[in-house]
Amino acid sequence: MSLDPVQVMSGQVKELKVAPSSNGDNRASWEEKEEFDQDHLGLTTKPKPVTGRRARKVEGGMFFPKPENAVTVAVSSRVMFRTEREQKVFEQKGVEEYLRYQIEHENEPFAPGPAFPFVKALETVNARLRELYPQSEELFDIVLVTYNHAHVGIRLINTINHHNLFIERFCMTGGSSPIGYLKAWHTNLYLSADADKVREALAEGIAAATMFMPEKLTEVSESQLRVAFDGDAVLFSDESERIFKAHGLDKFFEHERDNEDTLLDHGPLKGFLEALGKLQKKFYAKGQRLDCPIRTYLVTARSAASSGIRALKTLRAWGLEIDEALFLAGAPKGPMLEKIRPHIYFDDQMFHVEGAAEMGTVAAHVPYGIAQKHNPKQKSSVGK
Amino acid sequence: MVSTIQNTDVKQKDAARAAVVAVTSRAVFDCGVGGGDDVCGVGVAFPLLQALQRVNERLLEENPAESLLFDVVLITTSSQQQQQSSRISSSTRHYGLEVSRFCFSSEEDFIESLLTNGVQLFLTTDRNEATQASQSGVLSALLDQQIASCPPEQLRVMFCGDAIVQPDTGPTPASRQVAQSFSTQLGEMRQRFGVFNSPLSIVLVTSRGGRESCSGALQKLRSRGVSVDEAYCLAGAPQGPIVSLLRPHFLLSEGFRNLEE
Repeated sequence: MSLDPVQVMSGQVKELKVAPSSNGDNRASWEEKEEFDQDHLGLTTKPKPVTGRRARKVEGGMFFPKPENAVTVAVSSRVMFRTEREQKVFEQKGVEEYLRYQIEHENEPFAPGPAFPFVKALETVNARLRELYPQSEELFDIVLVTYNHAHVGIRLINTINHHNLFIERFCMTGGSSPIGYLKAWHTNLYLSADADKVREALAEGIAAATMFMPEKLTEVSESQLRVAFDGDAVLFSDESERIFKAHGLDKFFEHERDNEDTLLDHGPLKGFLEALGKLQKKFYAKGQRLDCPIRTYLVTARSAASSGIRALKTLRAWGLEIDEALFLAGAPKGPMLEKIRPHIYFDDQMFHVEGAAEMGTVAAHVPYGIAQKHNPKQKSSVGK
Repeated sequence: MVSTIQNTDVKQKDAARAAVVAVTSRAVFDCGVGGGDDVCGVGVAFPLLQALQRVNERLLEENPAESLLFDVVLITTSSQQQQQSSRISSSTRHYGLEVSRFCFSSEEDFIESLLTNGVQLFLTTDRNEATQASQSGVLSALLDQQIASCPPEQLRVMFCGDAIVQPDTGPTPASRQVAQSFSTQLGEMRQRFGVFNSPLSIVLVTSRGGRESCSGALQKLRSRGVSVDEAYCLAGAPQGPIVSLLRPHFLLSEGFRNLEE
């Protein structure tokens, strides 16, 4: 039922978000920072030895990619791991007891959460990228971002060690909003259990989604990262959805037909798809198109013969390849996703997120656009 | 010639228990070129002094008999500043700053002044002064211009968990000892308050190493009775953007060995 992969036009793929180096050199004057800056010069030209999955440290201890060169994925501890029991302690007994409990159980690793398979898959891709491009900083960089207090830090680090994860960067904000740090880390995607934080991130232009733990988890590939996206209000703006909601299906079809050659506006996850596409091209350049460890999917309620055309044309014009485009024409997404087995599926409608979860797919909600019950621009209070 | 003057407007602290912090007057006030008894303008470290004061106020709220308090000393480090002594003391009174003592010293003898006054932490905007003091065994921290916009309601102290220790210009073993005892005092103060709404926040940043560095630093601090509120492990990412969000008043890095060596 899937269409052939969308062909990329000869147009250029947009560059990954690249910000100028933001060392803030002239401002801070603490000694260690200067020390640090000197070591930082010429970082991208330093050769990085690769020995297996865990690269050795080079002098100065910096072998991790610069945030602006990497595809940075910020994951909250609550979706990386399962922390329901601890959450209950917090809710029922307050923060002091919660922290005491965490410290007491410091040597007990948390169990994997909904984002865990996704993060493992990112690491698999990194291993492949390092093989092919040992000196490149264009890798996935995973940052654990939590507004937990640092008291929980040791338990989190023990857990990361236990599961053999390659996470070396984190922010434990001790209760204040992590949003500022997301920007400082040049975050390409933020995954959290907290819808308010996700909305804040979206408002700041950072791709973000709320994750939930499904009742059951279908097995996913360990060798290929699979990411699936809904179309409207995820990759594309919600403009067409607005028409549908306001004027019904017929008007929607009419509108899409009339505007077939007008590009849709971009949605919050477009940038992340772009980032994935850029990494995919690195595999293609080394003759690994068939064996590419990244595969992307569009799973949309649009129909192939009609409203889907506008979606495809838009992707084409953006120079974005998507490996498989699945036009369901309104059919339920659950069964299709169950076949695809993505590590993560992004949708703006909770109805679809829940439907996917029922069938064991890890689905993430993008609280954007007209489908939300609340005003998506609503900013919640920051910090506690 | 050093003169040390008590500020009679302020209750003196218990020398055995208080954490003595000396701040250069040049950092606290901007005295310009005015003369006589004109009140000076505020300098970059003014909010810092307010934050120190706030910690003391909250400590005394928790326990009116509290003796573990910040004992703030204003110190001049040049003869030029020394000559502004009356403006400095009148400005202090004008703003109601909780300064217990004034040390009016010059370039030659301010170190002596720090030592005889039992100063545990010396804060200055002048790099040379900080280095000199450090080499004489006094824990020092360089104040950054940015701190002018730090919040006065909460004292934010940043520990750098994996600073590179230079053998020739770095801290001596003696000052490392002082660093440890000062951080222990901070830890004790922090314990007086709950998790939220504390007037003192302790932030750990490890800039170079990965999670093991951070874990090690957290455990080391914990063993000294210091509970960290916020922790950031940068693993080589640029410090500037993160640190400017953190808004620390000052940075302590002595007392940690480079954890990668």
